[in-house]
Amino acid sequence: MGASVTYLKLELKRAFLRLPQMLLGAAALIVFMGAAVLVASGALYGSRAAGRIAVGVLLPEGDALARQAVSMISSLESVKSLCDFSYPERDEAMKALEQGELYAVLEVPDGFVEDIINGTNTPVRIYFKGEASVESQIFKELSEAGAATLGASQAGIYAGDELLMALGLSERIPVLEDDLNRIFLRYSLPRMDYFRKHTVSAAGDVEPPVFYGVSMAVLFLLFGAIPVSGYLMPPGRVMQQKLSLLGVGRTVILAARCIGLTALFFAVTLFACMAACGFGLLAQSFLSVGTLLLICAAAACFVVFIYQAAGSLLGGVMLLFLSVTAMHFVSGGFLPLVFLPRAFGALAPFLPSYILMEGMKMIVTESFEPLVFGKLVALAVCGFVAGLLAGRRIR
Amino acid sequence: MEVSDICRAYGRTEVLKGITFSAGPGECVGIVGGNGCGKTTLLSILAGAMRADGGSIVINGREAVGHPSVFAEETAYVPQENPLMDELSVQDNLLLWYRGGRKCMEKDLQDGPAAMLGIPKMLKSRVGILSGGMKKRLSIACALSEHAPVLILDEPGAALDLECKEEIQKYLLTYMEQGGTVILTSHELAELALCTQMYVLKGGKLEKIETGLSARDLVLQF
Repeated sequence: MGASVTYLKLELKRAFLRLPQMLLGAAALIVFMGAAVLVASGALYGSRAAGRIAVGVLLPEGDALARQAVSMISSLESVKSLCDFSYPERDEAMKALEQGELYAVLEVPDGFVEDIINGTNTPVRIYFKGEASVESQIFKELSEAGAATLGASQAGIYAGDELLMALGLSERIPVLEDDLNRIFLRYSLPRMDYFRKHTVSAAGDVEPPVFYGVSMAVLFLLFGAIPVSGYLMPPGRVMQQKLSLLGVGRTVILAARCIGLTALFFAVTLFACMAACGFGLLAQSFLSVGTLLLICAAAACFVVFIYQAAGSLLGGVMLLFLSVTAMHFVSGGFLPLVFLPRAFGALAPFLPSYILMEGMKMIVTESFEPLVFGKLVALAVCGFVAGLLAGRRIR
Repeated sequence: MEVSDICRAYGRTEVLKGITFSAGPGECVGIVGGNGCGKTTLLSILAGAMRADGGSIVINGREAVGHPSVFAEETAYVPQENPLMDELSVQDNLLLWYRGGRKCMEKDLQDGPAAMLGIPKMLKSRVGILSGGMKKRLSIACALSEHAPVLILDEPGAALDLECKEEIQKYLLTYMEQGGTVILTSHELAELALCTQMYVLKGGKLEKIETGLSARDLVLQF
């Protein structure tokens, strides 16, 4: 017992002697990953991602009501977040459309608002450039969605009007229309009321920046072991024999290695989390710290298993890099699972990367699930047992 | 130490076929043989670091085969490769082999094997920066943490400079004078000169040979 405790203490000391190496490696990894993200986002979106949709609006002269209606539409959250409305002259607008300065031109007809009220519904004409750009397509979709919303509102109003007429209550139509306009439009137009409550994203239940933050954190954690590969190498045969004579068996050796790496991971990630808390990106809680420790333990057991299975320093580095990269891809860490083949989605929940991402997500979203805790414990136990078996095979 | 009928095979290859010999207090047994003849395997078995397929090892009247604690108490094993943690200090390494017993360690650093091997001078140094000779002395000091009466050394002088070899030989003589038994394998005549019994391991069997043979005569025995 005394020998095992002493060995554990010394292994922890060995681990912490590697802390500067791990911090240096982590800093290099952050620079590398940051550069990769910049290059990737540049390649994916180019400069177009920053562009907003410029739309020209041709209003009938002196139609204050039409101007007011367009102004109201342009101030809607869903429109305002994407489009910039301008009010040029017709020739000027068409020239700008041709030159690509405008993505669409809206021509509002005379008596636009009156026609909506009386049911004539004279359409707004929308001009796009011949070769439709992504922005033009987006605006087209937006217009169609707006028209559908307006159509649904009108259908409600007309149905009410007809009902009152059928009941012989025509005099109450203006009251009904006022009420419907007020109530119906209040709910249908500010669509953000709904979307604020339910986030819909390819990344699942978190927004893409959070998703990629979590994904990068897991990748950072697993790759963070590479600079301390020397520490992770299994002890030589002779050392194992001698330790065994001392009463320190392979189980204790492996446990000490896992605990040492967990401590290293925890020291580095705790520092990063404290910085995130300082910037207000994470909330401080004991449960979050406990979850982080569990994540570090699960990741450490998995990494130690990889090095046990590889049996050599270079083999360990290669195996860790390749397995983590492949696993992270299949787990949807690079591209969300909705963009990947269905088989990946079925396999992902069983992969360490996915489980670790679930754990990290719990810390970020502060919604702690017992099932995820269970998965993290299972990952740590499986990693440890697999490490023992791999060590036995090599021996 | 009474060793009788020790056997060991790797798969179908029988490396040791009934090894038998005995050694008393103050004696030094030298085992020689060609590369790959099984010397390291034999020493590992004698130290309890490896299991024998059959046979018996009795040390101070206690059967050691199947009883790891007997090996731990009665033998000190210094393998060819130093079992040390390079990142840690000499003191930390000693602490491990003393099972965390600081008092015993400090006592030995004053007047025990560690003191005789010159360990106190390098106590704070990191093992990774020590020379081969210093590491070997530290390995011996670590192995003798339990003050075992049988010291088993696998080529103790390999790759060491003359001064280091001499210091280790001096210590081995002291150890034997104090009633300890040394069992070693070596290719160094100076080390073999310490031996009171010599054996050659050939074809899995031990054959007793004369002590004090010249290098040429020794090689003829292989």
